[in-house]
Amino acid sequence: MSNKLKFLVVDDFSTMRRIVKNLLQELGYSDITEADDGNTALPLLKSGSFDILITDWNMPGMPGLDLLKAVRADEKLAKMPVLMLTAEAKREQIIEAAQAGVSGYVIKPFTAVTLKEKLDKILAARAAA
Amino acid sequence: MTPHPDPERFRAQVAALQVALDGGDAAGFRHAFELLCTEMDSGLLPELKRITATAQSALARFSAEARLDVLAGHEVPDARKRLTHVVKLTDEAAHRTLDLVERCGPLVDEAARSSTLLLEAWNSHGSSDAAIAALWPDRAAEFLKRTRTDSEALRANLSELLMAQGYQDITGQIIRGVILLVDELEKVLGKLVQIAEGIEVTSLVRSLPVQPEWERGLGPQVAGIANGDAVSGQDDIDALLSQMAAGK
Repeated sequence: MSNKLKFLVVDDFSTMRRIVKNLLQELGYSDITEADDGNTALPLLKSGSFDILITDWNMPGMPGLDLLKAVRADEKLAKMPVLMLTAEAKREQIIEAAQAGVSGYVIKPFTAVTLKEKLDKILAARAAA
Repeated sequence: MTPHPDPERFRAQVAALQVALDGGDAAGFRHAFELLCTEMDSGLLPELKRITATAQSALARFSAEARLDVLAGHEVPDARKRLTHVVKLTDEAAHRTLDLVERCGPLVDEAARSSTLLLEAWNSHGSSDAAIAALWPDRAAEFLKRTRTDSEALRANLSELLMAQGYQDITGQIIRGVILLVDELEKVLGKLVQIAEGIEVTSLVRSLPVQPEWERGLGPQVAGIANGDAVSGQDDIDALLSQMAAGK
């Protein structure tokens, strides 16, 4: 059931998108779409039926924080789980992301175990909601 | 361009003023006076322009030199540390990749060796060499067991190889930041060259792109560079978010 989930992975580095995509596939998820920044991701989110958004923060065009805020401001997308996967490590940034409604925050470089833990936590919260 | 005040320039107007004054010609006096003022203004205007240009140039030079001071004093040394960090990360990633490839090699070699032996036994099955044929079932069982274990190890190594490529994202972000710095340095130096050559600088250095705000992202933390209030790792982030959740 859970492996039917539809993911959108947003990162300006294609290598990182491939890494995340491969990790998700190892976890049994196969429906994965990629975008390279918030500007390309947002129309996809609005037109698609994604279950989870995994996004980087520092991207040209629309950064991840703005994408998160746009998602939370959109009536249809507002409750979508959003996992921030980023190298941004300032406390004020993490607090800002939390206040903007991020569902999980993973710092780069990360491990496959960490990604799985955060995803499991997000999915559990989603199922309980 | 500095005007040279020349009293002779005003002789005609002063004479006309005197004539009008002596003759009680109010209209003539006003007219001569206006001509005199116009003549004086025509010298004043270029002088005002020159002073303004000098002031603007001084401001531009001050802005450029102040920014250059920050760039040379802090940001260039920081960039050196960032690029050194990039070298370290690429070195570590390359070694990690090579280590994993070296770990995979023996697993694949063993699979090839075992399967060759197994095939030999299989080909002998039913042949006159009963002793070799008799070995086949045991070898097959051993091969399958070994292959399962080695496949799991190979899978784990491949996952690690995948994660090792994450260095490209981190180093790419750092290098992009340094490219922005070089770009700004080039512009500041270009402005200073323009000022030194007496070319009018139309825009001050402060109109150059400023560093992106932290909302847009600051990039990876680099050891040795003052990073303010940064978390130390995933555990620190988890603790911070838990505190925030508990405080709601």
